[in-house]
Formats: sequence, structure tokens, C-alpha cells
Amino acid sequence: MTIEKDQIKSVGVLFAICAVIAVLMALVNSFTAPIIKENEAAAANKALLEVLPGGGTFEEVDLSAYTLPATVTAAYRESNGGYVIQLTTTGFSSGLVIMCGVDASGTVTGALSLASSETLGEEKTYGGTLVGLTGATIDGADTVSGATKTTGAFKAAVKDALNAAIILGGGSVDIRSAEEILMDSLNEALPEAEGAFTSLFLTVASDTVDALYQADNGAGYVAVCGETYVALDGNGKAAAGADAALAADAEAAAAAMAIPSEALDLNKYEGISTSITEAYVTVDGVYDITIKAAGYGINGDEYTASGEYIYVRLAITAEGEILRCVTVSQGETDGIGSACAEPAFYTQFNGRTVADYEGIDAISGATYTTSGYLAAVGKALAAVDIMKGVE
Amino acid sequence: MVNNQNSNMSILLRGLLAENPVFILVLGTCPTLATTTGVVGAFGMGLSATAVLICSNFVISLLRKVIPDTVRIPCYIVLIAGFVTIVQMFIHAFLPELYETLGVYLALITVNCIILGRAEMFANKNTPGKAVLDGIGMGLGFTLALLLMATIREVLGNGSFAGIAIPFMQDHTIGMFVKAPGGMLVFGVLIALVHKITHGKAPVKKDFSCAGCPSAAYCKTGSACASAGQNPEKAEV
Repeated sequence: MTIEKDQIKSVGVLFAICAVIAVLMALVNSFTAPIIKENEAAAANKALLEVLPGGGTFEEVDLSAYTLPATVTAAYRESNGGYVIQLTTTGFSSGLVIMCGVDASGTVTGALSLASSETLGEEKTYGGTLVGLTGATIDGADTVSGATKTTGAFKAAVKDALNAAIILGGGSVDIRSAEEILMDSLNEALPEAEGAFTSLFLTVASDTVDALYQADNGAGYVAVCGETYVALDGNGKAAAGADAALAADAEAAAAAMAIPSEALDLNKYEGISTSITEAYVTVDGVYDITIKAAGYGINGDEYTASGEYIYVRLAITAEGEILRCVTVSQGETDGIGSACAEPAFYTQFNGRTVADYEGIDAISGATYTTSGYLAAVGKALAAVDIMKGVE
Repeated sequence: MVNNQNSNMSILLRGLLAENPVFILVLGTCPTLATTTGVVGAFGMGLSATAVLICSNFVISLLRKVIPDTVRIPCYIVLIAGFVTIVQMFIHAFLPELYETLGVYLALITVNCIILGRAEMFANKNTPGKAVLDGIGMGLGFTLALLLMATIREVLGNGSFAGIAIPFMQDHTIGMFVKAPGGMLVFGVLIALVHKITHGKAPVKKDFSCAGCPSAAYCKTGSACASAGQNPEKAEV
């Protein structure tokens, strides 16, 4: 009985002490919690003021009500109409967190890297170079040579912040990437394709048709004519109501592409470059040549080069005019030689001949890539001369 | 009356040097090494621990006849943890920078040996008044020890005092002193110095006895540990 009494007393005393302490803590907490919350808000405000100096008070925005660039993770509305946007992007490695201030006029007031695991540390200072830029001028900002991936991603994120500020302010801006815009336009032109298209390598000369996409399910084609997208049905006919001239060009291009090209036996031609991997000729006498170019990936530093060739596909007329040039694949240095895969580089060859193909703008800082690419184009042009002679 | 006053004064003063919790009893070593890289942090830690020590000593002494022996350690821990949490909430609210500086070591006051040690060795055997005096004395001893260590470490390691740069020292810092090895070095040298001053007379741990020991029923050494406490050479402090 005594043991039981002692046990009950022990439990009772311990319980009573716990209860009294809990009540005491609750009382103190009810008094200190609001002050702590106020302090934390002031500390957060201080961090926001670093990127939006002279700002007033801040209020966090509920992002679920807006369609914003994917990099935006948090946003704070400032009392004078500015915004501080927090973004997470991938530079050289993932987890590059950026805080960007945008004032009421849509100008960058500050951009800081809050967390990163980049190798060179350029992100710590790069934000300062973007202060004062707007949506109209951000594209012209220079990236840092040697840290193109980091600073390029930083710049893109700040552009996202500028766009987000416009959207949060009630405005509208197209935040889609070039690929997304193209895919949306193709889908809009030919919904029957159900979103699956294959880009055809155009081997026909056309002043109006820039590209031709074929629906994977055979529903038809979409010809890209500048800003206009012309839909063709499965038989290659344009729908009624389309611009007549464009429709005719698109139909002609689709019809020409529907005729199979003849594969050429490369062993047949003496003196042809061994770099050529495939060659075809269309019924119109246009040569479709795929050639490998030795850029930095092959000729560069033995420790840093990828060992990969640049594969280039060209459509060349029998007269030696380059109709199309596309980089199929490459393993050049990211952010430097990899620019050879950008349309801005390879479309420079369109319309050129052996006389002027070397006059294109070289890729800055990528001598191996440019010279290898030019050599390959030259070999393809020479090959056409040989092949047409034999034919 | 005079004897009583002398006794009270001796309780208050012994924590400062003769029974200094850091240099003589070698208690609370973890926060001592961790928070003495700067004078401000050390002072904050010292005062926080002192506040908890005074409150816990007072309440434990007050409840010494109510708390059953079998659950006294859980009761002390609950009381100490409660006071630490309350002090923590006040510091978080009114001294946020100090709160950031002390970090996890603030919450770890709960398991600071000095506080639990004084509860077990003194507060549960003495009146609330004496317990408070003991708390003040031990707390101040702890604070002074931290301040002494922090001053040496910050001046030599950082060339500043309480964050204020000292012109000559600023250009001749010895980084090791604000790192763990420097802390151990200063700690060892100060212990040696204090022992030299007190002529190696470590306190007699007369407060230890078999009465009240939770292991007393199973202990096979008899009162060996208590008698060891009588001998400074064998004292496990």
C-alpha cells in the first residue's frame, strides 16, 4: 500500500510540476511570440530592402493565382508598387537561388545570389551589373566570359523576375520559350496532329517557306512562313481561307518533300571527302549531305575535348548554292563552341556558295569550332561538284 | 547572527574562485569552449545560465520536501528545461542578435552540469535563501570564467574586444585562439593558473554521500566514492 502511495505521489508531483511549468511557458510565449514575429518580419524586410533599396513595407504574394515563369519561387509586393522576386535556377549546377528587386517602373534595383554551388563564384557579383536594366534592355547585358552558364542563367532568371513583376502587377507578357511558342503555334495550326510533329529537312528552294513540320500521325503538315503557319492536310493541300500565295508555296514544298530522295553510294565518287557520312539527291537535283566536322571536340585540348564530331546537314543545289544548313549534333564546349548548334550561327550559310561561305560571322572564342565547321561546309560544296560531274 | 552572515557571504563568494564551477569543478566545459570566441556571446551565455541557475535553485529548494526522492532528477530536469525555455523566449524576443550568437548552446543550458549539479549538491539540501545565494555565486563564477576566457580568445584571436577593434591587435591576430584548439589551450592554462592561486586545494566534495544517491541500493563500493571525495587527490570533479 505504501509503495502504491509513494508511486502515486511521485507521479502526481511530477505531473503537477510539468503542468505548472507548461502554464508558465504558455504565459511567457503569449507575451513574447508577437514580439518575436515582429522581429522576424523586420529581419526579412531588411533582406528585401537590400535588393530594393528605399522600399517601403513588403507583403508576400500568393503565387497560386498567377502563371509565372517556372524559376519564380516567391514574390513580395512592396508598398510603392515594386516587387522582390525570389528565383531558383540552374547555372553550372542546380540550386542557384537569386533575389531580385524590381521597382514600380520595371527596372532592376538589385540582384543577389542567396545560395549557390557554382564553381567560379561569378554569381556573387554578377547581379550588380544588371542593376538599372529593364525588360527592353536585359537581353543586351553581357555575360561573363568563362562563366557563361552561370551568368547566362542569372541573366535569364532576372529577365524572368522582370516578366513576373509585370504579371504580378496585372500586365501580361509572353513567358514561353521559343520552343514552346513554336509548339503552341503548330498545335494551333493543325490540332489534328495531337502535338506530335517531326521537323523535315527542307531540300527545296523557297523564298517563303522557312520550315516544314510533318504530323507524326499523318494528319498533315504545317509550313512556317515567317510569322504565318500554314496547315496542310494529309494530302498536302492547304485549308480554304489560307493566304493563296503562301498556301501554294507550302503545298509545293510539301509535295516536293513527299517524293523520296535517292541515296548515293559514296564509294562511287573519287576524291570525295571521307567526312561525309550520308548523301542523297532529290528529283530536283538538290544534294542532301550529312558531314562530320572536327571542331574543338576532336582537335581541342586532350583533357577537355569531348571527342565528338559536329554533324552538319546541308542541302546544296547542283549550282552550288546552300539552301539549308543545320547542326544535327555536337559536343563542343558548353557556352562557347556549342553556339554552333544555334540557328543564329548555322542559318548564316543559307543562300551562300563556295565564293562567300567563309564570310560568315565566326563564333567568338571558338576558333577550333568555326574553322572545323567551315572546313566541313567547304568539303560538302566540293563533294557536290564531284557528284554532279559523275551523274 | 554574525556567523549566519559570514556563512551566507561564503556561499555567495565560493563560486567565484574557491569552487569556481568552470576552473575548479570543471563543469559546463562544452558551453565554456563553444561560446567564448567573443565577449558578448560569453557574457550573454553567463547571464542566461545565471538566471536559470538562480530560478532553478530557488524552486528546487522550495520544493525539496515535496519532491519525492525517486523522481527528483526528472523533476529537476523539467524545472530547469522550463526555465531555460522561458529565458530563451525572452532573449529571442528582446535580444535577437544574442539569440543568433548563442544558437543551440542556449537550449543546451538545460543539460548544463553546473545547474543540475547545484540542484543535486546544494539546492535540495538548503533553504531557498541559501540556494539563491549559491545560484548567484555559481552563476557569477561561471560568467566571470567565461568572460576571462572570451577576453583572452577574442583579443588574441580576433584583435577586438566585444566587437570593438583594438588597433594594434587587429594587425597581429592569432587565428587559433578563436578555434577549438585555442579554446582548449586557454582553458588548460587558466585551470593551471587558478590551481596555482588556490594552491591546488580543490574543494572537498562533502556534499556527496550515499544518502539520496539513486544507486545506493545496488552500490557495491559502500561509501568508497564519498570517501574518495574527501581526498582531493582522488576527487572526481
